[in-house]
Amino acid sequence: MNHQDPKDQALELTTDGAECWEPGKVEEHDAQQQIDSALRRANELHSAAKEQQEPRIGVYICRCGGNISDVVDVERVAETVRLIPGVTTAKVHTFVCSDPGQHTISDDILKENLDRVVVASCSPFLHEQTFRGAVSRGGLNSYLYEHVNIREQASWAHKHDPEGATLKAIRMIAAAVGKLHHVRPLDQIKLPNHRRALVIGGGIAGMKAASDLAMRGIKVLLVEATERLGGQLNNLNRVYPSERPASEIVRELEQKVLHNENIEIFFGARVRSVSGFIGNFKVALQVTSTNGDEAPHLAFTVGAIVIATGFRPYVPQEGEFLYRTSPAVLTMPEFIQLMRTAEPVGSQLVYKGQAVRKIAFLHCVGSRQLEGVHQPSPDGKLNTYCSRTCCSTILRQALEVRKRFPSVEVFDFHRDIRTYGRGEEDYYIEASKAGVIFFRYNGEEPPHIELTPAKLSAAGALSITVKDALTWGEELTVQTDLLVLGTGMIPGEIAELIEQMKLATGEDGFLQEVHPKLRPVELAVNGALLAGTAQGPMNIQETLAAAGAAAVKAAAMFAKEEVELNPFVAEVDQSRCSGEALCVAECDYEGALQIVQVEVDGRTVDRAQVNAGLCVGCGACVAVCPHRAIDVNGWRIDQFEAMVDGIAADIPGHACSAELVSVH
Amino acid sequence: MSVPFIPKILVLATEKCAYPGADAVGKAHQEYPSHVYILRVLSPVVFPEDFYLRTYSQGIDGILIAACGSDCPYHGAYDRLAARIDQLTSHMNAGGLGIERIRLTAICTVCIKAFLKEIAMMTDNLQRLGPVDRKIAERLHRESIERLQASARFGQPVEMMQGGVL
Repeated sequence: MNHQDPKDQALELTTDGAECWEPGKVEEHDAQQQIDSALRRANELHSAAKEQQEPRIGVYICRCGGNISDVVDVERVAETVRLIPGVTTAKVHTFVCSDPGQHTISDDILKENLDRVVVASCSPFLHEQTFRGAVSRGGLNSYLYEHVNIREQASWAHKHDPEGATLKAIRMIAAAVGKLHHVRPLDQIKLPNHRRALVIGGGIAGMKAASDLAMRGIKVLLVEATERLGGQLNNLNRVYPSERPASEIVRELEQKVLHNENIEIFFGARVRSVSGFIGNFKVALQVTSTNGDEAPHLAFTVGAIVIATGFRPYVPQEGEFLYRTSPAVLTMPEFIQLMRTAEPVGSQLVYKGQAVRKIAFLHCVGSRQLEGVHQPSPDGKLNTYCSRTCCSTILRQALEVRKRFPSVEVFDFHRDIRTYGRGEEDYYIEASKAGVIFFRYNGEEPPHIELTPAKLSAAGALSITVKDALTWGEELTVQTDLLVLGTGMIPGEIAELIEQMKLATGEDGFLQEVHPKLRPVELAVNGALLAGTAQGPMNIQETLAAAGAAAVKAAAMFAKEEVELNPFVAEVDQSRCSGEALCVAECDYEGALQIVQVEVDGRTVDRAQVNAGLCVGCGACVAVCPHRAIDVNGWRIDQFEAMVDGIAADIPGHACSAELVSVH
Repeated sequence: MSVPFIPKILVLATEKCAYPGADAVGKAHQEYPSHVYILRVLSPVVFPEDFYLRTYSQGIDGILIAACGSDCPYHGAYDRLAARIDQLTSHMNAGGLGIERIRLTAICTVCIKAFLKEIAMMTDNLQRLGPVDRKIAERLHRESIERLQASARFGQPVEMMQGGVL
């Protein structure tokens, strides 16, 4: 290890002399050796200190409105880290990420002449960029910043050990401070931004995102797996709350994307591979022609990807509420199809040649499933989430039945009814007025469906028995001709895309945005956005709103000519390199690392050189260099060593024995 | 011993998999000992053998390398990492540190149970083994640097021993 800084050294000296390490304490002759080397180092450092200015580090500790400070004693953390060499300021703030919090940082950089900053707050995935921005606004290079995660990895993970969590926060800050002694300013890597977006999925979300992007002058590749635009809306009739036919909405959007000079549509097409990064994704499409022939892959470079792959309707398992056991049991999409094509015979609804006199609707089929009550799907999963759209859909269909076929009796079996959107509650009120009869069951005791014995078929094909909560648990039986299952939404089949792009999914299997409030519709993969039900159950309004948001965010990415990437790539210290090329043999990225000839003292010699545009920063080259001449910027070995020292070090002003006692 | 030994564990967690996995544990409000310290890394393949041995010599009792496994976003990095850790483990074993203070595993972004299991397992093992012998670790660290230096065919080998921890 190359110690250049006296402050870093001071930290380490406390480690060496610490009594905490009693069990593994080094023996006496080693202790003497240590003292000798410590003295030697002290001399070296003394001279080094003259050359190098001492860093001035500001540490900001976030309470996160109690999320952190309810467990971690943040005031004590601030008092303690102030004692760490190099730290000149340590402050506590309720929300460092807020405007005032960020201003404190940028103001302090100027007022207190800080040259390094640490923020101890939530996960770096939420706010590392935020604070790099604040540091940069204060006039410092944004890589003179280190993020410490004391929420996800301290206060939340050690809730019942506040003392341990507090000490851990101190050590993690000490580690960050240690690292900051070894950092230097870095410049972002700038690469051309390809002003073209790929939209995957030609449903309403994909069409909306594509047309909004095209409107802003951005070229769009719209990829649809089938031969037709519109997606799930092609299977719907009129939709709530506007009562417009779904086909009208599809047609309206279709007109915006078909024959749009900025949009190229690929039908029968699938995305086969995706690589690269924001501004520079390489994608390969495979188009299957109508006669089934598979064309060779088409390759494109796009700057952003909008995922609008949608959902699949839940299909009940065989026998679930007698589905596929009795033809009288239909899913909601099947029923909508029936209503679409049903021609009233007189005032009667006819199904399979029989007049339907009674229809029952059952809520929450395939949604809000409970362990021990519902049968898990073949992969062992239960859909514990609410599909959000089924309640209003059922009420809309029930009302339509009553309006179009007044002689048909309608029954509604629900656990709960949630008509949460504007105008949707009216469907409930109207359905009640129109004579729909409601039954409410407890989730643990779903209605029991039985086939009616043939001789009673005149009274209905099915009997439904329910313990009705609305009549104080009375057991009621209803005969019905049809049972419509209010089936919910399940994730689309996009395993290949998830694998290709390394996308995150939630426990429900839908794609997961980075943060529901701070970064909605953004995926963790920079430059990839979510539009609509690929993300979870949404109604049409919500889907279109999400698609519009995704389009705006993608368009914003294209506002710059270049994309700026973190400069976390390997770099060769040419003064140390001897051109042995041991590192080159470890690199799997063609052209990223090679040997070049350079002039040194009038001689031509071999030296390793990194191509920053091709290097991915994996660091496979670093470990093998006998000269420590190659390292990954921002993640250097000496920086990691300093972090380990910070973690291993004694806590300033803290008695070791007290710590051991405090953690039982 | 009146006070039970609480081992210090360093987790080297990959930015794409295990680090968000550790975040998921906290988000789910699941708990593990506070003497577990997590460092975010792009890929642990970056670390030379001497880094690990130096870490033990500083008094860290166990190191869990929580990588991406087959989900590793870098070509060939995981295989290289596995081979390097194999070699490190055999040096540790031959040198007297045993094989239980280091473990290479894959933790995904939602692998809450796997993360907790790995931490529990390593904590148990380390409690049984007791604190790391820093003297042995220092010796092995020195040897690993000598090996690295020996791989230099020309030029000045790494100078890290001067003014370093020894």
